[in-house]
Amino acid sequence: MSPSLSRIRNVFEPMNSSEVAGLWQSRFGIPEKAFAGYRFFRKAQSVWMISASELPNLSYEALGMRIMNLKDRPWKPTTCALQILGKHATKNLVHLNETQATTFLEGKSLPVDTNLEPGYVVVLYREEVLGCGLYSRGIVVSQLPKERRMTSCS
Amino acid sequence: MERYKDIIPNFEAFKAVLHRPLFDCCRINTLKIERAKLLERLDEKGVGWRIFDWYPFGLKLDVQSPGKLLESLLGYIHIQEELSMVPPLLLDPRPGEVVLDLCASPGSKTTQISQMMNNKGLIIANEPSLSRVTPLRSNCERLGVLNVAITRYDGRNFPRGSFDRVLVDAPCSSEGRERRGPGVLSRSNRKRSLDLQKLQIGLLKSATRLAKPKGVVIYSTCTYAPEENELVVEKVLDDARLERISISGLKECPGITEWNGETMKGDLSKCARYYPHINDTGGFFVAKLIKN
Repeated sequence: MSPSLSRIRNVFEPMNSSEVAGLWQSRFGIPEKAFAGYRFFRKAQSVWMISASELPNLSYEALGMRIMNLKDRPWKPTTCALQILGKHATKNLVHLNETQATTFLEGKSLPVDTNLEPGYVVVLYREEVLGCGLYSRGIVVSQLPKERRMTSCS
Repeated sequence: MERYKDIIPNFEAFKAVLHRPLFDCCRINTLKIERAKLLERLDEKGVGWRIFDWYPFGLKLDVQSPGKLLESLLGYIHIQEELSMVPPLLLDPRPGEVVLDLCASPGSKTTQISQMMNNKGLIIANEPSLSRVTPLRSNCERLGVLNVAITRYDGRNFPRGSFDRVLVDAPCSSEGRERRGPGVLSRSNRKRSLDLQKLQIGLLKSATRLAKPKGVVIYSTCTYAPEENELVVEKVLDDARLERISISGLKECPGITEWNGETMKGDLSKCARYYPHINDTGGFFVAKLIKN
Protein backbone atom coordinates (compact mmCIF):
# COMPACT_ATOMS: atom_id res chain seq x y z
CA MET A 1 0.00 0.00 0.00
CA SER A 2 1.34 3.45 -0.83
CA PRO A 3 1.92 5.87 2.05
CA SER A 4 -0.76 8.24 0.79
CA LEU A 5 -3.36 5.45 0.72
CA SER A 6 -2.55 4.35 4.26
CA ARG A 7 -2.97 7.93 5.40
CA ILE A 8 -6.42 8.06 3.84
CA ARG A 9 -7.38 4.92 5.72
CA ASN A 10 -6.08 6.37 8.96
CA VAL A 11 -9.18 8.49 9.59
CA PHE A 12 -12.27 7.98 11.72
CA GLU A 13 -15.10 6.63 9.58
CA PRO A 14 -18.59 6.49 11.06
CA MET A 15 -19.92 2.96 11.67
CA ASN A 16 -23.44 1.72 11.95
CA SER A 17 -24.41 1.05 15.57
CA SER A 18 -26.28 -2.16 14.75
CA GLU A 19 -23.24 -3.53 12.94
CA VAL A 20 -21.19 -3.12 16.14
CA ALA A 21 -23.99 -4.31 18.43
CA GLY A 22 -24.48 -7.42 16.27
CA LEU A 23 -20.91 -8.59 16.89
CA TRP A 24 -21.20 -8.13 20.68
CA GLN A 25 -24.61 -9.76 20.72
CA SER A 26 -23.43 -12.84 18.90
CA ARG A 27 -20.33 -13.38 21.07
CA PHE A 28 -21.52 -12.16 24.49
CA GLY A 29 -25.33 -11.99 24.21
CA ILE A 30 -25.27 -8.26 24.98
CA PRO A 31 -28.60 -6.72 23.94
CA GLU A 32 -28.59 -4.03 21.25
CA LYS A 33 -30.10 -1.49 23.65
CA ALA A 34 -26.79 -1.42 25.60
CA PHE A 35 -25.40 0.41 22.55
CA ALA A 36 -28.13 3.04 22.33
CA GLY A 37 -27.04 6.66 22.73
CA TYR A 38 -23.52 6.09 21.42
CA ARG A 39 -21.81 6.78 18.12
CA PHE A 40 -19.26 4.42 16.58
CA PHE A 41 -16.22 5.07 14.43
CA ARG A 42 -13.65 2.89 12.76
CA LYS A 43 -10.04 3.92 12.35
CA ALA A 44 -7.78 1.36 10.69
CA GLN A 45 -8.66 -1.89 12.57
CA SER A 46 -10.00 -0.23 15.74
CA VAL A 47 -13.60 0.58 16.64
CA TRP A 48 -14.31 3.57 18.91
CA MET A 49 -17.41 4.45 20.93
CA ILE A 50 -18.37 7.94 22.10
CA SER A 51 -21.48 9.29 23.81
CA ALA A 52 -21.46 12.72 22.17
CA SER A 53 -24.20 13.40 19.65
CA GLU A 54 -22.37 16.13 17.74
CA LEU A 55 -18.67 16.50 17.06
CA PRO A 56 -17.14 19.83 16.05
CA ASN A 57 -15.15 19.84 12.85
CA LEU A 58 -11.67 19.17 14.27
CA SER A 59 -8.82 16.76 13.65
CA TYR A 60 -9.09 14.02 16.29
CA GLU A 61 -6.53 11.75 17.89
CA ALA A 62 -9.12 9.69 19.79
CA LEU A 63 -12.93 9.57 19.85
CA GLY A 64 -14.21 8.25 23.15
CA MET A 65 -13.09 4.72 24.00
CA ARG A 66 -11.42 2.12 21.81
CA ILE A 67 -13.76 -0.86 22.30
CA MET A 68 -12.57 -3.53 19.87
CA ASN A 69 -9.88 -4.56 17.47
CA LEU A 70 -10.92 -6.16 14.16
CA LYS A 71 -7.41 -7.06 13.02
CA ASP A 72 -7.54 -10.75 13.90
CA ARG A 73 -10.25 -13.42 13.78
CA PRO A 74 -12.06 -13.50 16.11
CA TRP A 75 -12.26 -9.77 16.83
CA LYS A 76 -10.92 -8.75 20.25
CA PRO A 77 -12.77 -6.65 22.82
CA THR A 78 -10.72 -4.20 24.90
CA THR A 79 -10.59 -4.65 28.67
CA CYS A 80 -11.93 -1.14 29.29
CA ALA A 81 -14.94 -1.80 27.03
CA LEU A 82 -15.69 -5.13 28.71
CA GLN A 83 -15.63 -3.39 32.10
CA ILE A 84 -18.52 -1.25 30.86
CA LEU A 85 -20.42 -3.49 28.45
CA GLY A 86 -19.58 -6.83 30.10
CA LYS A 87 -22.18 -6.37 32.83
CA HIS A 88 -24.85 -6.86 30.13
CA ALA A 89 -23.27 -10.09 28.87
CA THR A 90 -25.23 -13.33 29.08
CA LYS A 91 -22.80 -15.81 27.56
CA ASN A 92 -19.09 -16.63 27.40
CA LEU A 93 -18.66 -15.49 30.98
CA VAL A 94 -16.14 -16.94 33.42
CA HIS A 95 -16.73 -16.50 37.14
CA LEU A 96 -13.56 -16.84 39.19
CA ASN A 97 -12.99 -17.56 42.88
CA GLU A 98 -10.63 -15.38 44.92
CA THR A 99 -7.47 -17.40 44.21
CA GLN A 100 -8.24 -17.56 40.49
CA ALA A 101 -9.03 -13.84 40.39
CA THR A 102 -5.63 -13.05 41.89
CA THR A 103 -3.92 -15.20 39.25
CA PHE A 104 -5.92 -13.50 36.50
CA LEU A 105 -5.13 -10.01 37.83
CA GLU A 106 -1.44 -10.89 37.83
CA GLY A 107 -1.74 -11.47 34.09
CA LYS A 108 -1.26 -15.25 34.23
CA SER A 109 -3.12 -18.18 32.66
CA LEU A 110 -5.40 -20.40 34.72
CA PRO A 111 -7.27 -23.66 34.23
CA VAL A 112 -11.06 -23.40 34.48
CA ASP A 113 -13.64 -26.16 34.58
CA THR A 114 -16.26 -24.91 32.16
CA ASN A 115 -17.89 -25.49 28.80
CA LEU A 116 -17.31 -22.39 26.70
CA GLU A 117 -16.91 -21.67 23.02
CA PRO A 118 -13.20 -21.01 22.42
CA GLY A 119 -12.42 -17.30 22.08
CA TYR A 120 -12.59 -14.14 24.15
CA VAL A 121 -14.53 -14.25 27.41
CA VAL A 122 -15.77 -11.83 30.07
CA VAL A 123 -13.92 -12.55 33.32
CA LEU A 124 -15.78 -11.77 36.55
CA TYR A 125 -15.14 -11.98 40.27
CA ARG A 126 -17.95 -11.35 42.77
CA GLU A 127 -20.22 -10.10 39.93
CA GLU A 128 -17.65 -7.46 38.90
CA VAL A 129 -16.02 -7.50 35.48
CA LEU A 130 -12.24 -7.77 35.85
CA GLY A 131 -11.50 -7.79 32.14
CA CYS A 132 -10.92 -9.89 29.06
CA GLY A 133 -9.63 -13.46 28.90
CA LEU A 134 -8.84 -15.77 25.99
CA TYR A 135 -10.36 -19.22 26.51
CA SER A 136 -9.26 -22.38 24.79
CA ARG A 137 -9.08 -26.07 25.87
CA GLY A 138 -9.82 -25.47 29.55
CA ILE A 139 -7.37 -22.56 29.96
CA VAL A 140 -8.15 -18.86 30.35
CA VAL A 141 -5.26 -16.59 29.35
CA SER A 142 -5.42 -13.15 30.98
CA GLN A 143 -5.57 -10.33 28.41
CA LEU A 144 -5.15 -7.55 30.97
CA PRO A 145 -2.88 -4.79 29.70
CA LYS A 146 0.44 -4.79 31.58
CA GLU A 147 -0.25 -1.50 33.34
CA ARG A 148 -3.55 -2.84 34.73
CA ARG A 149 -2.03 -5.92 36.37
CA MET A 150 -1.41 -6.51 40.04
CA THR A 151 2.22 -7.22 40.90
CA SER A 152 2.61 -10.71 42.38
CA CYS A 153 4.43 -9.54 45.52
CA SER A 154 1.61 -7.27 46.72
CA MET B 1 11.65 31.54 47.29
CA GLU B 2 12.55 34.56 49.46
CA ARG B 3 10.99 36.80 46.83
CA TYR B 4 7.59 35.60 48.05
CA LYS B 5 8.25 36.73 51.65
CA ASP B 6 5.89 39.69 51.37
CA ILE B 7 3.02 37.94 49.57
CA ILE B 8 2.76 34.62 51.43
CA PRO B 9 1.14 35.08 54.86
CA ASN B 10 3.02 33.62 57.84
CA PHE B 11 6.08 32.93 55.71
CA GLU B 12 7.97 31.00 58.42
CA ALA B 13 5.09 28.52 58.81
CA PHE B 14 5.02 28.20 55.01
CA LYS B 15 8.72 27.30 54.89
CA ALA B 16 8.36 24.86 57.76
CA VAL B 17 5.52 22.86 56.22
CA LEU B 18 7.41 22.30 52.95
CA HIS B 19 9.50 19.59 54.62
CA ARG B 20 6.43 17.58 55.57
CA PRO B 21 5.31 15.14 52.84
CA LEU B 22 1.70 15.16 51.67
CA PHE B 23 -0.96 12.52 52.17
CA ASP B 24 -1.80 10.49 49.08
CA CYS B 25 -5.20 11.55 47.79
CA CYS B 26 -7.69 10.04 45.39
CA ARG B 27 -11.00 10.85 43.76
CA ILE B 28 -13.88 8.39 43.80
CA ASN B 29 -14.84 7.73 40.18
CA THR B 30 -18.63 7.68 40.22
CA LEU B 31 -18.67 6.70 36.52
CA LYS B 32 -17.75 3.20 37.71
CA ILE B 33 -18.76 2.82 41.34
CA GLU B 34 -21.08 4.38 43.90
CA ARG B 35 -19.38 6.38 46.62
CA ALA B 36 -20.81 4.32 49.49
CA LYS B 37 -19.77 1.05 47.86
CA LEU B 38 -16.22 2.25 47.34
CA LEU B 39 -15.89 3.38 50.96
CA GLU B 40 -17.18 -0.02 52.06
CA ARG B 41 -14.53 -1.75 49.95
CA LEU B 42 -11.75 0.34 51.46
CA ASP B 43 -13.02 -0.48 54.95
CA GLU B 44 -13.13 -4.18 54.08
CA LYS B 45 -9.46 -3.97 53.05
CA GLY B 46 -8.44 -1.96 56.09
CA VAL B 47 -7.37 1.03 53.98
CA GLY B 48 -7.61 4.22 56.07
CA TRP B 49 -9.41 7.16 54.46
CA ARG B 50 -10.69 10.62 55.29
CA ILE B 51 -13.08 12.62 53.12
CA PHE B 52 -11.98 16.18 52.25
CA ASP B 53 -13.77 18.91 54.19
CA TRP B 54 -14.70 20.62 50.92
CA TYR B 55 -15.41 17.86 48.36
CA PRO B 56 -17.34 14.64 49.02
CA PHE B 57 -15.56 12.65 46.28
CA GLY B 58 -12.02 13.47 47.43
CA LEU B 59 -10.25 11.21 49.93
CA LYS B 60 -6.98 11.29 51.84
CA LEU B 61 -5.65 7.73 51.90
CA ASP B 62 -3.51 6.02 54.49
CA VAL B 63 -1.94 3.17 52.51
CA GLN B 64 1.34 2.29 50.76
CA SER B 65 1.30 2.66 46.93
CA PRO B 66 -2.40 3.51 46.49
CA GLY B 67 -1.96 3.32 42.71
CA LYS B 68 -1.52 -0.46 43.07
CA LEU B 69 -4.86 -0.97 44.82
CA LEU B 70 -7.27 -3.13 42.83
CA GLU B 71 -9.76 -0.26 43.12
CA SER B 72 -7.28 1.92 41.25
CA LEU B 73 -6.52 -0.68 38.55
CA LEU B 74 -10.24 -1.21 37.94
CA GLY B 75 -10.82 2.54 37.72
CA TYR B 76 -12.96 2.92 40.84
CA ILE B 77 -10.57 5.55 42.18
CA HIS B 78 -8.07 7.90 40.58
CA ILE B 79 -4.95 9.03 42.43
CA GLN B 80 -5.07 12.82 42.25
CA GLU B 81 -3.68 15.74 44.27
CA GLU B 82 -6.21 17.36 46.55
CA LEU B 83 -6.07 20.84 44.99
CA SER B 84 -6.09 19.41 41.47
CA MET B 85 -9.78 18.71 42.11
CA VAL B 86 -10.50 22.44 42.55
CA PRO B 87 -10.53 23.66 38.90
CA PRO B 88 -13.23 21.21 37.67
CA LEU B 89 -15.37 22.11 40.67
CA LEU B 90 -15.14 25.80 39.75
CA LEU B 91 -15.64 25.04 36.06
CA ASP B 92 -18.95 23.49 37.18
CA PRO B 93 -19.75 21.62 33.93
CA ARG B 94 -23.28 20.28 33.32
CA PRO B 95 -24.31 17.09 31.49
CA GLY B 96 -24.83 17.82 27.79
CA GLU B 97 -22.51 20.82 27.57
CA VAL B 98 -19.50 21.19 25.30
CA VAL B 99 -16.29 21.73 27.27
CA LEU B 100 -12.68 22.35 26.19
CA ASP B 101 -9.76 21.20 28.34
CA LEU B 102 -6.92 22.99 26.61
CA CYS B 103 -3.94 21.38 28.44
CA ALA B 104 -5.41 18.01 29.32
CA SER B 105 -2.73 15.37 29.99
CA PRO B 106 -2.56 13.26 32.15
CA GLY B 107 -6.32 13.74 32.39
CA SER B 108 -7.04 13.93 36.13
CA LYS B 109 -9.15 17.02 35.61
CA THR B 110 -10.53 15.83 32.25
CA THR B 111 -11.88 12.66 33.84
CA GLN B 112 -13.24 14.57 36.83
CA ILE B 113 -15.11 16.86 34.42
CA SER B 114 -16.47 13.76 32.64
CA GLN B 115 -17.68 12.40 35.97
CA MET B 116 -19.40 15.70 36.78
CA MET B 117 -21.12 15.55 33.36
CA ASN B 118 -22.12 11.95 34.00
CA ASN B 119 -20.50 10.92 30.68
CA LYS B 120 -23.00 13.12 28.77
CA GLY B 121 -22.14 15.94 26.39
CA LEU B 122 -18.64 16.41 25.02
CA ILE B 123 -15.20 17.25 26.36
CA ILE B 124 -12.48 18.11 23.89
CA ALA B 125 -9.25 17.16 25.65
CA ASN B 126 -6.37 18.87 23.89
CA GLU B 127 -2.78 17.77 24.33
CA PRO B 128 -0.14 18.69 21.73
CA SER B 129 2.51 16.19 22.81
CA LEU B 130 2.05 12.67 21.43
CA SER B 131 3.90 11.08 24.35
CA ARG B 132 1.56 12.83 26.78
CA VAL B 133 -1.52 11.62 24.88
CA THR B 134 -0.71 8.05 26.03
CA PRO B 135 -1.36 8.61 29.77
CA LEU B 136 -4.35 10.82 28.94
CA ARG B 137 -5.95 8.04 26.87
CA SER B 138 -5.04 5.38 29.36
CA ASN B 139 -6.64 7.29 32.26
CA CYS B 140 -9.81 7.99 30.26
CA GLU B 141 -10.11 4.30 29.36
CA ARG B 142 -9.41 2.97 32.84
CA LEU B 143 -11.95 5.36 34.35
CA GLY B 144 -14.68 4.41 31.86
CA VAL B 145 -14.90 7.84 30.22
CA LEU B 146 -17.03 7.90 27.07
CA ASN B 147 -17.53 11.59 26.34
CA VAL B 148 -13.95 12.70 25.68
CA ALA B 149 -12.43 13.32 22.25
CA ILE B 150 -8.71 14.01 22.12
CA THR B 151 -7.09 16.59 19.83
CA ARG B 152 -3.43 17.55 19.40
CA TYR B 153 -3.33 21.23 18.56
CA ASP B 154 -0.97 23.87 19.89
CA GLY B 155 -3.39 25.30 22.45
CA ARG B 156 -2.47 28.88 21.43
CA ASN B 157 -3.72 28.20 17.91
CA PHE B 158 -6.64 25.86 18.62
CA PRO B 159 -8.58 26.36 15.39
CA ARG B 160 -12.22 26.91 16.25
CA GLY B 161 -15.12 26.27 18.56
CA SER B 162 -17.74 27.87 20.77
CA PHE B 163 -17.48 26.20 24.16
CA ASP B 164 -19.75 26.46 27.20
CA ARG B 165 -16.70 26.14 29.45
CA VAL B 166 -12.94 26.13 28.93
CA LEU B 167 -10.25 24.96 31.35
CA VAL B 168 -6.65 26.16 31.06
CA ASP B 169 -4.58 24.19 33.55
CA ALA B 170 -1.42 25.76 32.25
CA PRO B 171 2.13 24.39 32.09
CA CYS B 172 3.91 26.17 34.95
CA SER B 173 7.01 26.16 37.16
CA SER B 174 5.17 23.84 39.61
CA GLU B 175 6.46 25.53 42.78
CA GLY B 176 3.37 24.28 44.60
CA ARG B 177 4.60 20.70 44.19
CA GLU B 178 7.57 21.21 46.55
CA ARG B 179 6.11 18.77 49.10
CA ARG B 180 6.02 16.04 46.40
CA GLY B 181 9.37 16.72 44.79
CA PRO B 182 11.71 18.80 46.99
CA GLY B 183 13.96 21.19 45.09
CA VAL B 184 11.37 22.67 42.70
CA LEU B 185 11.28 25.95 44.63
CA SER B 186 15.03 26.35 44.80
CA ARG B 187 15.37 25.80 41.02
CA SER B 188 12.60 28.27 40.25
CA ASN B 189 13.37 31.85 39.26
CA ARG B 190 11.80 34.96 37.75
CA LYS B 191 13.37 34.48 34.34
CA ARG B 192 11.92 30.99 33.94
CA SER B 193 8.53 32.28 35.04
CA LEU B 194 8.68 35.07 32.45
CA ASP B 195 9.47 32.51 29.73
CA LEU B 196 6.45 30.42 30.77
CA GLN B 197 4.31 33.56 30.98
CA LYS B 198 4.46 34.04 27.19
CA LEU B 199 3.01 30.59 26.65
CA GLN B 200 0.45 31.00 29.45
CA ILE B 201 -0.84 34.31 28.08
CA GLY B 202 -1.15 32.73 24.62
CA LEU B 203 -3.12 29.83 26.06
CA LEU B 204 -5.47 31.98 28.16
CA LYS B 205 -6.14 34.39 25.27
CA SER B 206 -6.94 31.41 23.06
CA ALA B 207 -9.29 29.97 25.73
CA THR B 208 -11.10 33.29 26.07
CA ARG B 209 -11.50 33.49 22.28
CA LEU B 210 -12.94 29.93 22.18
CA ALA B 211 -15.50 30.40 24.97
CA LYS B 212 -19.09 31.39 24.18
CA PRO B 213 -20.26 34.83 25.31
CA LYS B 214 -21.00 34.42 29.07
CA GLY B 215 -19.01 31.19 28.96
CA VAL B 216 -16.77 30.21 31.88
CA VAL B 217 -12.97 30.14 31.61
CA ILE B 218 -10.91 28.68 34.45
CA TYR B 219 -7.18 29.42 34.58
CA SER B 220 -5.09 27.42 37.04
CA THR B 221 -1.46 26.68 37.88
CA CYS B 222 0.34 24.90 40.71
CA THR B 223 2.78 27.73 41.26
CA TYR B 224 3.16 30.89 43.37
CA ALA B 225 4.91 33.20 40.87
CA PRO B 226 2.68 36.23 40.17
CA GLU B 227 4.32 36.39 36.71
CA GLU B 228 2.55 33.08 35.89
CA ASN B 229 -0.70 33.90 37.68
CA GLU B 230 -2.24 37.36 38.22
CA LEU B 231 0.02 38.92 35.56
CA VAL B 232 -1.32 36.39 33.04
CA VAL B 233 -4.97 36.79 34.02
CA GLU B 234 -4.62 40.59 33.81
CA LYS B 235 -4.03 40.27 30.07
CA VAL B 236 -7.59 39.08 29.31
CA LEU B 237 -9.56 41.41 31.59
CA ASP B 238 -10.75 43.47 28.60
CA ASP B 239 -12.58 40.41 27.26
CA ALA B 240 -13.77 38.75 30.48
CA ARG B 241 -14.59 39.60 34.08
CA LEU B 242 -13.35 37.85 37.21
CA GLU B 243 -15.70 36.11 39.59
CA ARG B 244 -14.71 35.81 43.26
CA ILE B 245 -13.78 32.28 44.36
CA SER B 246 -14.95 30.78 47.61
CA ILE B 247 -15.19 27.06 48.40
CA SER B 248 -16.75 26.10 51.68
CA GLY B 249 -14.26 24.09 53.77
CA LEU B 250 -11.14 25.24 51.88
CA LYS B 251 -9.37 28.50 52.88
CA GLU B 252 -8.13 30.64 50.01
CA CYS B 253 -6.02 33.80 50.08
CA PRO B 254 -6.93 36.64 47.70
CA GLY B 255 -5.01 37.19 44.48
CA ILE B 256 -2.32 39.85 44.80
CA THR B 257 -2.68 43.33 43.29
CA GLU B 258 0.83 44.65 43.90
CA TRP B 259 4.09 43.09 42.81
CA ASN B 260 7.64 44.40 42.43
CA GLY B 261 6.40 47.90 43.34
CA GLU B 262 3.77 47.91 40.60
CA THR B 263 0.03 48.05 41.12
CA MET B 264 -2.26 45.77 39.12
CA LYS B 265 -6.01 45.84 38.56
CA GLY B 266 -7.88 45.58 41.87
CA ASP B 267 -10.21 42.92 40.52
CA LEU B 268 -7.33 40.44 40.57
CA SER B 269 -7.93 39.99 44.29
CA LYS B 270 -10.90 37.81 43.21
CA CYS B 271 -8.43 35.09 42.14
CA ALA B 272 -7.64 32.43 44.74
CA ARG B 273 -4.23 31.43 46.10
CA TYR B 274 -3.95 28.24 48.13
CA TYR B 275 -0.93 27.77 50.38
CA PRO B 276 0.39 24.50 51.84
CA HIS B 277 0.51 25.69 55.48
CA ILE B 278 -3.09 26.88 55.47
CA ASN B 279 -5.00 23.78 54.34
CA ASP B 280 -2.15 21.22 54.68
CA THR B 281 -2.05 20.72 50.88
CA GLY B 282 0.24 21.62 48.00
CA GLY B 283 0.22 25.14 46.52
CA PHE B 284 -2.22 26.31 43.85
CA PHE B 285 -3.61 29.31 41.97
CA VAL B 286 -6.93 29.59 40.23
CA ALA B 287 -8.99 32.30 38.51
CA LYS B 288 -12.58 32.12 37.33
CA LEU B 289 -13.45 34.30 34.34
CA ILE B 290 -16.77 34.98 32.64
CA LYS B 291 -16.41 36.00 29.01
CA ASN B 292 -18.15 39.27 28.06
